[in-house]
Amino acid sequence: MANKKINKKNIAKLLGDWSKEFELFIPSKDEGIAKFAKWDGKDTSFLDWHRNTIVPPKAIFFPPVEEMFSFQKDKQSYHIELPSSDGQKQLIFGIRPYDANALTILDKTFKDTYEDPYYLPKRKNTVLVGLGCTKPYDSCFCTSLGGSPTDSANVDLMLTDIGDEFLVEGVTDKGRELMSMSSELEEATEADETRAKETKEATYQKVTRQLDTKDIEEKLLSSFEIQDLWEEIAAKCISCGICTLLCPTCYCFDINDELIKDRGTRFRSWDSCSFPVYTKMPMENPRIEKWRRVRNKVCHKYEFYPMNFDVIACTGCGRCVRQCPVNWDITQTLEKMQAKVQSG
Amino acid sequence: MAIADISDRRRYLAQGNVYLPHIAIIEKIIDETPGVRTFHFNFKDEKLREEFTFDSGQFGEYSVLGIGEAPFCISSSPTRRDHLEFTAQRVGRLTNALHRLSVGAEIGFRGPYGNSFPLDFLEGKNLVFVGGGIALAPLRSLIWNVIDNRDKYKNIDIIYGARSPADLCFKYDLDAWDKDKSVSMATTVDKGDESWTGREGFVPQVLEQVAPSPDNAVAIVCGPPIMIRFTFPVLGKLGFTPEQIITTLEKRMKCGIGKCGRCNIGNLYVCRDGPVFTYAQIKNFISSEY
Ligand SMILES: Cc1cc2nc3c(=O)[nH]c(=O)nc-3n(C[C@H](O)[C@H](O)[C@H](O)COP(=O)(O)OP(=O)(O)OC[C@H]3O[C@@H](n4cnc5c(N)ncnc54)[C@H](O)[C@@H]3O)c2cc1C
Ligand code: SF4
Ligand code: SF4
Ligand code: FES
Repeated sequence: MANKKINKKNIAKLLGDWSKEFELFIPSKDEGIAKFAKWDGKDTSFLDWHRNTIVPPKAIFFPPVEEMFSFQKDKQSYHIELPSSDGQKQLIFGIRPYDANALTILDKTFKDTYEDPYYLPKRKNTVLVGLGCTKPYDSCFCTSLGGSPTDSANVDLMLTDIGDEFLVEGVTDKGRELMSMSSELEEATEADETRAKETKEATYQKVTRQLDTKDIEEKLLSSFEIQDLWEEIAAKCISCGICTLLCPTCYCFDINDELIKDRGTRFRSWDSCSFPVYTKMPMENPRIEKWRRVRNKVCHKYEFYPMNFDVIACTGCGRCVRQCPVNWDITQTLEKMQAKVQSG
Repeated sequence: MAIADISDRRRYLAQGNVYLPHIAIIEKIIDETPGVRTFHFNFKDEKLREEFTFDSGQFGEYSVLGIGEAPFCISSSPTRRDHLEFTAQRVGRLTNALHRLSVGAEIGFRGPYGNSFPLDFLEGKNLVFVGGGIALAPLRSLIWNVIDNRDKYKNIDIIYGARSPADLCFKYDLDAWDKDKSVSMATTVDKGDESWTGREGFVPQVLEQVAPSPDNAVAIVCGPPIMIRFTFPVLGKLGFTPEQIITTLEKRMKCGIGKCGRCNIGNLYVCRDGPVFTYAQIKNFISSEY
């Protein structure tokens, strides 16, 4: 199917058409913090933001707190019940390319060995409509990780800003199906295509932060035992965990029970390798020192994950740089590490 | 050690959901030491009771619903399948709740998880078991496993120690192995009491005295980190190579299946890639944080 376009004024109508089939999520500041939220049927204010959500869209598939099952105890016996799932089809509108890429990375963990029965069904039921970035932050570096601000690789349908309109590209069958569900879309002209191409090239150039990822696995491996380097890198971190909780590729979780009288739930919740209790055991804690935790976070993304799944677990979204209360900086960290390893 | 082949184990998933526990019933409770109990249990579901298999060295996630769940190895042998066993030391919230249960109580179980001791590799070899304290639990599953297939293995040496006579676990097994002419057994305590007539001394020292030959041998070592740290050098001195030393590792765990993240040693997850490792696999990490 050829590419289409839509006038920005008609986006609400387009979303309206899709919302007949899908539960629709859009970037929203409804509750004060930018995150993906259910569409209220009219809000399209996110189109003016040019910025991304603070909470990554992973939260739709892997919520900060999620019920795993509930149970009821009568006499000696337990009755276990799974949370009801209506298998509702979902549509995420306006996901940024690097956040869609992060989902592709997360899939690997949730599929590994045993399929995760909470994340994967939601993932399967959801179509992704990407929205290319126009004003990357200073902290963005997606182009160093094989991405681009307008990359369509991990979405079903891709929108690129071409002025008063968006160019609409069907990437997958699911995406092309979406195009046929609304009469708001018009055929794109050659001029539209050209404008889209120019926008893509220009935006690519706006990502100025660069990270050299060549041989980064090997370099991290040789830096592993350089304690003073990691101590220096970790010095200002306060172990608040924000860089991991808000990272679109981080997936660590805790599992706990809650019991009220005879009814209870088991739930999982986001956890972080930045927290000292994360690895605490009765007699010892292998990562009680902060520099070991910071080292683990960095190595997990740039060394261990590539060893296991052949892909760096970072998309260069820059959230960990923007949201850190003490300005800890991942690209500066990796540069420091590389300089140290190179100097021997 | 390869990652466990779980293809035939998916059928044990409760309602197809890997996080859902199966209900099991406690059939017997044995007080091993003041803080350690062994629980005999069986699945409530009859079909599962019949079908369920595991390998020595694997573990499960055990629930007291409403309190939580924790990993314990399956301490019984797959060769003895009229019930399953695990042995838990009381150290915190969940283990306290477990110790409050009585016979007939229901627990949750999901598993078996992790890899296992490499029986193929052990076959035809002299086996040296070195254990300390409650960490005899995983070794015990393997020891009974090889005793029940005695022809497949050569000499069996067991060196086991605990802090005091009261801290020795599985005394009934120690007695049985002591009497078994096909097994040579050395039990030791760090410090004896008035009634103790056996050996005194730390496990690594006793190992040095027993001095098993490394020829065609494999040492399988499980114990508290401090014992492990002192045992590896002794084995090295005796001539065991890192490939000839096998151990199990313990890390804090939640999911047990390589997803929640916390049990990693470098790129390996102890729950998914372990808990059984050769010393060759982990010796680089032992020196630093692990
Ligand atoms: C693969 C594996 C096999 C194990 N096998 C056995 C066994 O056969 N017998 C046995 O007694 N214990 C075993 N353990 C240790 C056991 O899992 C912990 O003692 C148990 O989880 C503590 O739970 P709790 O709720 O009582 O403690 P908590 O109240 O959670 O905590 C008490 C203390 O124990 C620590 N702790 C919590 N969870 C773990 C954990 N998973 N591993 C280590 N420390 C932890 C806490 O940090 C805290 O210091 C095994 C652990 C692993 C990883
Ligand atoms: S956000 Fe900053 S301070 Fe908080 S854990 Fe991450 S690096 Fe440390
Ligand atoms: S590590 Fe930082 S830049 Fe990379 S994906 Fe996570 S939050 Fe974004
Ligand atoms: S226990 Fe969750 S990853 Fe190992």
